[in-house]
Amino acid sequence: RSFGQVFPLDLNCKTLITFRVLICRNYKGDVDMVEIDHFLPLLMQQEEEGLICPVMSHGNVHFLWIKHNNLYLVATTNKNSNASLVYSFLYKLVEVFTEYFKELEEESIQDNFVVVYELLDELMDFGFPQTTDSKILQEYITQEGAKLEVAKSKVPTTVTNAVSWRSEGIKYKKNEVFIDVIESINVLVNANGSVMSSDIVGSIKLKTMLSGMPELRLGLNDRVLFALTGRDKGKTVAMEDVKFHQCVRLSRFESDRTISFIPPDGESELMSYRINTHVKPLIWIESVIEKFSHSRVEIMVKAKGQFKKQSVANNVEVRVPVPSDADSPKFKTSTGHAKYVPEKNLVVWTIKSFPGGKEYLMRAHFGLPSVENDEMEGKPPITVNFEIPYFTVSGIQVRYMKIIEKSGYQALPWVRYITQSGDYQLRTNA
Amino acid sequence: MPYLGSEDMVRELRRALSNPNVQSDHLRYRNTILKVVRAMSQGVDVSGLFSEMVKACATVDVVQKKLVYVFLCSYASLNPELSLLVINTLRKDCQDPNPMVRSLALRNMTNLRLPSLVEYVEQPLTAGLRDRAACVRRVAVLGWAKLHKLQASSDIDAAVVNELYSLLRDPDPVVMVNCLRALEEILKEEGGVAINKPIAHHLLNRLKECDVWGQCEVLKILERYRPQSEDELFDILSLLDPSLLSPHPPVMAATLSLFLSLCSGLPAASLSALERVRGPLLAACGSASREMRFTALCHIQLLLRSLPGLMGAHYKRFFCGYAEPAYIKQRKMQLLVELVNDENVALVLDELKGYCTDVNTDTAQAAISAIGRIGRSYSDRCLEILTGLLGLKQEHITSAVVQTVRDLVWVCPQCSEAVCLALEGCEETVQDSQGRQALLWLLGVYGERVSSAPYVLEVFIDGLRSEVSPGVKMELLTATMRLFLCRPAETQDMLGRLLHYCIEEETDMCVRDQALFYYRLLHCGIEETRKVLQGRRSDPSLGVLIGRPAEPVNQWARSFNTLEPLKQSAAETESTSGGSPEPVTSVPRPNTDLSLSSLSPSPVDKVHTESHTLPQIKWLHRSSIYYNIHPTFAGLYTEYLHGFVVFHME
Repeated sequence: RSFGQVFPLDLNCKTLITFRVLICRNYKGDVDMVEIDHFLPLLMQQEEEGLICPVMSHGNVHFLWIKHNNLYLVATTNKNSNASLVYSFLYKLVEVFTEYFKELEEESIQDNFVVVYELLDELMDFGFPQTTDSKILQEYITQEGAKLEVAKSKVPTTVTNAVSWRSEGIKYKKNEVFIDVIESINVLVNANGSVMSSDIVGSIKLKTMLSGMPELRLGLNDRVLFALTGRDKGKTVAMEDVKFHQCVRLSRFESDRTISFIPPDGESELMSYRINTHVKPLIWIESVIEKFSHSRVEIMVKAKGQFKKQSVANNVEVRVPVPSDADSPKFKTSTGHAKYVPEKNLVVWTIKSFPGGKEYLMRAHFGLPSVENDEMEGKPPITVNFEIPYFTVSGIQVRYMKIIEKSGYQALPWVRYITQSGDYQLRTNA
Repeated sequence: MPYLGSEDMVRELRRALSNPNVQSDHLRYRNTILKVVRAMSQGVDVSGLFSEMVKACATVDVVQKKLVYVFLCSYASLNPELSLLVINTLRKDCQDPNPMVRSLALRNMTNLRLPSLVEYVEQPLTAGLRDRAACVRRVAVLGWAKLHKLQASSDIDAAVVNELYSLLRDPDPVVMVNCLRALEEILKEEGGVAINKPIAHHLLNRLKECDVWGQCEVLKILERYRPQSEDELFDILSLLDPSLLSPHPPVMAATLSLFLSLCSGLPAASLSALERVRGPLLAACGSASREMRFTALCHIQLLLRSLPGLMGAHYKRFFCGYAEPAYIKQRKMQLLVELVNDENVALVLDELKGYCTDVNTDTAQAAISAIGRIGRSYSDRCLEILTGLLGLKQEHITSAVVQTVRDLVWVCPQCSEAVCLALEGCEETVQDSQGRQALLWLLGVYGERVSSAPYVLEVFIDGLRSEVSPGVKMELLTATMRLFLCRPAETQDMLGRLLHYCIEEETDMCVRDQALFYYRLLHCGIEETRKVLQGRRSDPSLGVLIGRPAEPVNQWARSFNTLEPLKQSAAETESTSGGSPEPVTSVPRPNTDLSLSSLSPSPVDKVHTESHTLPQIKWLHRSSIYYNIHPTFAGLYTEYLHGFVVFHME
């Protein structure tokens, strides 16, 4: 329920011996500061035993931790806390810091530790989360604050405002909204070619550059609206796990299915959803990997675009695992080019543009040493990255975006659709 | 900056801080303070600069103020007297027209954690509660909680408590939630904030205004409220219903927890709430954060105790991704074991089979043990997979298979035929002591059917001098004794050598005592020996996997949404991979309690698993003299023990 301390710990992954606490904030004083010294030995002990767990205990102090880049963010508590809340908060920290520093890592913390301290003070008080919305925080804690001669010390209207996600008095010369509809496909295919699981994670992202306090109304196609509200039990696939940004008036959506809101300024995610359905994998892979011990590995991979002929997949990358002791690669491709990445034990086959319905082939040949590697190697799956513009699997469409502001300016909405690979794995028979 | 030792650095910084030229230059002053705080966060002891820093506090620059406050709060407890100097600046800041400055001053005033300052802090805090700006009220409310924590003995004025109660109606939702938090802390002795009907309804109505953290807090506190009538209860439930489907896992979990506590008298309502959260829980299992996925999986395990069929159709969601961390894979496998049924068993086993060759040996062993658990209901299919794995001749796989098979045979004696066939040749691959103990146990119990058994044991006996594990030695003693009972001609000679070595040369007391015990037992005659050693070979009554009765929700509702499920399942993993359903000697069980406790080894009982021969006896060595011995054994046993043993009966 409340956290004693939050420490982004820095740990050099390679040596695992030296580490230091980068920033540490003891919010409540319930847990002694020295307790954090037990964290690393515990972590290393668990790592050795191969049983790392995101909760660790020392006496009656519990460490809940997450890892981001090479940083460990650790919350300590001596209560029987609500675990998911603690993890949510730690991830919120990562999110806020990342929005501030682009990348959350040891260097960015050291370079910006003043801001980090300021943020930690605003994010949590006495072990309780306070202001965690980075949009609001950014209004009164700025990185420039540490540089400017006279710091900005204006109270953001949002801390007291009714519309907490947008402040008043925003001005743009040209009023525009960019709408990105993005769907990620997650697929897991078995070695014998059957689809074990597949789902679509979709999101509608906005980049709002509008003056004043505009009222927006987003119109989606009926099919999707029915799916969203779950009223149509028949033809359409049900959308699960629909999340709206806090700005969307939920009661309005429930009563007449209109998505109306006052948008946050700049970039934000308006809504996200998940469709758990059997989608046909957009890029189908068939592979034959034959390993002749002590001599060679032969790989044949066939990729097929299982989407409409009019669409084109861009930047397709098929990543095929090879044994770690393979050498002297030879490739032959019907299109694109293949490259051996020895540090990742992968062949990466890149196809810049892959039209729907087409089928391409890649062959690879590797030598194997006569003295074989004794270590057991796992069977990593083939993974595929791609993006298909102007296309969505669910068929979601933005019909209109109405923008009304009391000053009556004209604003332009822009829409883009893109489908991309998420966790896209095909197991191999090798 | 040139390299300086910490003392030089402090001296240098002090000179800069007290330099009037620096002080008059805004930017240089702030940069110097920045250096001090940087040094502090790098672990340099800069506490000596306290008085200089106190002076730096009086400035109009908010960022500089914040930096100084960070410093002061870290070192205040070392300099309580000097800290008094700060309080004036802080109190002045509390009057500042800028609400940001006011809230900053109030927050740091209470963060100094100095009991001597309490009297100076109370007045600004009281004023803070009535401040116009919500951000100041937020800080002031929590300030009272901090004050109370600092001086738990002194009672907070009843007027303040009343004021906090009235601030529950504050228009700012964070102030409202902070009031709850503060009252919880202040009224801890009296059981926390009192929730009566008007307060409960007020909180419920404003739930939607709060952020995720606030909602969780409110939901948690509402668990204390008991509706006065059934109508009211159902009104509350229907108000909460949308939150059950919240896309934020913490809110969903907190809502369910509240549901379960409100419905503790209505099992049917609780169960239907569990059905409702299935979707959000499954969504949480696919969350981008692996810790969230882990938490969701652990909580699903909890729900399945009451609704075993809850996730049946969704078993594919628990298939493991290649790159998932071991702790998630292991939890998913435990779930898959629970979800197996006639339709999906082939697919699930196929999937688990794939995990048996995972690079992480713990994951591989967990997969093997999961197959073994499924084997209790689908023994043929599972044995086929398990014996197939032996062909890989991988040390850790064979060891895990042998252990799994031992456990499986214990509950499914009909498997013993196939197991005996598969055992041949395993001894060459199994290296670790757990695996060898399992192998020895199997050879002892099924020795008559494994033709090579005496030869395998002989190799063990010949290598006794280099054997380090007492557990293996004890298992070897028992196995050889058992084999002697069914194949005396082949075994007599080696048993003699074994007993001779263990009694005359062995340094480990436990091994020696056991050898002596068997030696004396043999003197009692072969019938007596048979009675002790050849008892039940298995216990089919133990674990049939499918059809376990559903537990009532109340059994686990209290631990829902805490750390417990995450910890609990960690202990379960240990028992599935390390422990075993106990193969036991022929001693009749004196009472069921004892046998039950021996079936669920707590994680502390590591010692226990070392010795499978006499499983109800905890072996600890002389250094921590304490033997826990089965009562029926005790009488027979005492005479061989040498006076230094303390009996400790459970």
